[in-house]
Amino acid sequence: MSESLLFRIIHIALHLLTALLLGPLIPGLINKVKALVAGRCGPPVLQLYYDLAKLARKQAVFSQTTTWIFLAGPVATVAAGLVAALLVPFGHSPAPIHFQGDVILFAYLFGLARFLTVLSALDTGSSFEGMGAAREVTFSALAEPALFLGFAALAKSSGSLSLSAMLASPGFAISRATGPFILVLAGWMIVYLAENARIPVDDPNTHLELTMIHEVMVLDHSGRPLALVLYGASLKLLVLAALILGPLLPRTDNPWLDWAAYFLALGLFAVVVGVIESITARFRMNQVPQFLMASVLATAFAFLLLLV
Amino acid sequence: MLDIVLILAALGCWLAASFIPLFKLLDERFYLGLGVLGSLLAVVGALHVLITGNASGLDFVFWKLPARIEVDALSAAFLLPLNLVAGLGIIYQSEYWPTSMVTGRSVRGLFGLLAASLMLVFIARQGILFLMAWEVMAMSAFLLIGTEHGTPQVQRASWIYLMCTHTGTLLLIAAVALLAHRCGDLLWIPHPGLPDSSLDSAIMVLALLGFGIKAGFLPLHFWLPEAHAWAPSHVSAILSGVMLKAGLYGIIRLSGLVPTTPAFLGGLVLTLGAVTAVYGVINALAQSDFKRLLAYSSIENIGIIGIGLGLGWTGRAYHESWLTALGFAGAVFHIWNHSVFKGLLFFGAGSLLHATGTRKIEALGGLAKRMPQTALVIFPAVLAVAALPPFNAFLSEWFLYRGLLSSFQRGESWAACLALPALAISGGLAAVAFAKFFGFVFLGEPRTSAVEHAHDPGKAMMLPMVILALLCVGLGLGSVLLLPLLDHVVGVVAPEATGLLVLGIGPDLALLSWMLALLLVLGALGFLWLRRSRRNLTTRPPTWDCGYARPTARMQYTASSFSAGWASLVPGCKERMRRVRAVFPRPLTYRSEFQDAVGEAFVEPRVDRLAERLLRFRQLQHGHLSLYILYILLALLGVFLWMLVRARLLG
Repeated sequence: MSESLLFRIIHIALHLLTALLLGPLIPGLINKVKALVAGRCGPPVLQLYYDLAKLARKQAVFSQTTTWIFLAGPVATVAAGLVAALLVPFGHSPAPIHFQGDVILFAYLFGLARFLTVLSALDTGSSFEGMGAAREVTFSALAEPALFLGFAALAKSSGSLSLSAMLASPGFAISRATGPFILVLAGWMIVYLAENARIPVDDPNTHLELTMIHEVMVLDHSGRPLALVLYGASLKLLVLAALILGPLLPRTDNPWLDWAAYFLALGLFAVVVGVIESITARFRMNQVPQFLMASVLATAFAFLLLLV
Repeated sequence: MLDIVLILAALGCWLAASFIPLFKLLDERFYLGLGVLGSLLAVVGALHVLITGNASGLDFVFWKLPARIEVDALSAAFLLPLNLVAGLGIIYQSEYWPTSMVTGRSVRGLFGLLAASLMLVFIARQGILFLMAWEVMAMSAFLLIGTEHGTPQVQRASWIYLMCTHTGTLLLIAAVALLAHRCGDLLWIPHPGLPDSSLDSAIMVLALLGFGIKAGFLPLHFWLPEAHAWAPSHVSAILSGVMLKAGLYGIIRLSGLVPTTPAFLGGLVLTLGAVTAVYGVINALAQSDFKRLLAYSSIENIGIIGIGLGLGWTGRAYHESWLTALGFAGAVFHIWNHSVFKGLLFFGAGSLLHATGTRKIEALGGLAKRMPQTALVIFPAVLAVAALPPFNAFLSEWFLYRGLLSSFQRGESWAACLALPALAISGGLAAVAFAKFFGFVFLGEPRTSAVEHAHDPGKAMMLPMVILALLCVGLGLGSVLLLPLLDHVVGVVAPEATGLLVLGIGPDLALLSWMLALLLVLGALGFLWLRRSRRNLTTRPPTWDCGYARPTARMQYTASSFSAGWASLVPGCKERMRRVRAVFPRPLTYRSEFQDAVGEAFVEPRVDRLAERLLRFRQLQHGHLSLYILYILLALLGVFLWMLVRARLLG
């Protein structure tokens, strides 16, 4: 008993450390891959950690138009990301907190973060940030049904409403659910790219306002608020990746091997995202809804397949 | 017994309060005292019934017919939000609609009458008594909507409401008569042991139509946005927060009375709810008038409650008591939550109107600086209406999601498959609509001079909003404590599903509440960390705007462009704009119009055409006395003839 308790404590500690610390590594990896593919040397993999440390010590500038709402966006992004990180399993070991219905909280936490980010963009009264906010709400309302239909499909196949059970269900054993699983994961991959403001939906690097969605909403943040924005975005990359990696990973008997496999897979996943970003071009704005619609259709089809 | 006495005393208080404005000697304090006392008594009584789960009633004879009033957990579940919103409403009214206004006295009297009649609606257990209370409610609401009847739009809104509500009452009279025929008496108590009959379906369809008009289900909703937009704001709060729910109450109550609940009811209400939710929210985000936006959002919420009710009846039809419990509990919980946050939003809308005098979102902006307290107290309601954690409406949608997802695992209902994406997308679009509301009214820079002299309202208007805002947070974090209460309500609607909730979702809900508390704590820590860095610049530059030397407030993004991505999908929305052609184009104009796709675009022209056709019958009414006597003679002759022929025809 004491050993299993000890194991449980170590496991939770590992989960918390991963959630708190690992996030900023992913954008670093993605950027490194993009640079290498483009034939550049690129910034160091740990660049975001340096940036965060520097921003935390820097002065913040607030526009005279802004109110406390301006801070609510960055704070909510991090708070919601951390709570979501407690609910999602990294690999096959269950999350520290799991209960029936946590999946709904998980989805709405990202809704909260997005809503407050939109409000803090509108708080500046800048026309660019207003435009970014408008684009964000237009596209994200499509991502939500895709996420939920995928959850419904997994709930149906696993018989549970808890993320830990839904994502850890038999994995990729050849079964009736294999086809729908592939569709769900494909749909979620699109949601992943859109939610994290990645190419081909959005370009995280450009500073040309006319083409941006997410990046333009945080133009006026600086200093500590900007640190929170960047950290929150990296948390989102980490937490949403767990949704896709969970069902993909093969299951072993040894929990430590599971952890190792998860970290390896996470690294590979970042490489894949980097490669996708390197070899595709950003869509025109009017094509983004079609791209997102594809994810809704894929997950809806998966759901129907499981129903009949 | 004690409970029904409390409720009756409260009813008496409201009725007395409604007559006070008739006497010029008695003043506002007396009215306020009576109203608040009434709502306190009723809240205590209703809470007691909800906690113990015991009904208490009173039998008496009314017009030589046996009659009954009773308060059970279901009635109490509706009495609670009614008295909360009405009690806070009259406090709000004392500043918002002072007695010195021309209509000050009539609004006070009618408001008391509306509250009293709604109370009677929720406790009457006899057909005729119920219908009378229903009519008093409908008429006092009509007069309240028409408060500012000098304006043509107000006249139009109140007349459309009157026609709709009377059409509904006609259908209800038929339903009540059929029910009396079916059960043998007018009493609304369960009659066990009656044989099955196809009449039950007819009664439920009539009730669904009649009560559906009041509740605002999809094709019957068109009176609602106009009426709620033009009524005084504290009246809109009670119309939207409580009176719409009276329609839902009627459907639930009747479904428990007909001996067999028809099996199609669940799927039908579930589909109606899903369609209503999406239609309501997509129209809400196309509005440029913030009170109409709130009114359309009420339609969305009625749809969400409909999803819950439909799920409950589906569960009953398939004998899945777990689904039944989740569906009904989610619906009732959402009814409570909606009255709290929508009451708050309409009170807030009243404060905005009070401060700026306009309902146009495009004319406002920057109010968070000028009305900081109002912005702060409205904020929880804005998050709640978008169903975001940690506020109350997220919890009730959590019930519904759980119900829908677990209904797939059993794989019985196709309607539930429609409702899940509908619920998800209406949550997403509600976030768009309310980001527009909050973002363009309170944030940014003022767009017109309407905002210049805006300031926070006084204590009497702030207090009700603060109480409701605290309830938004409190109901969100303390939802576990409500489970036994919800269990009792479910027990009234579906006796087989009693007591499932506390055991079934209690532990999950407790963990969920801890997570929500953790979210709040993390948020507070984040704010502290940001605030602690005192090294922030003390001078505040203007927002960077791409190097323009003199950015103006008119260069901000506008509310209509914000929602343009989705608003173009709204069926009743028309936009007119010329394309930019030349290198140096002439000044462009943009104009957008909104018509409700059902009411204004479809029903109204047809009703107008019908009315024109019927005009030719006006020739019969010309004022010649001799001809009128001829009509009477002809009518008498007709009756005689009928009496002669009847024996032959009918044997």
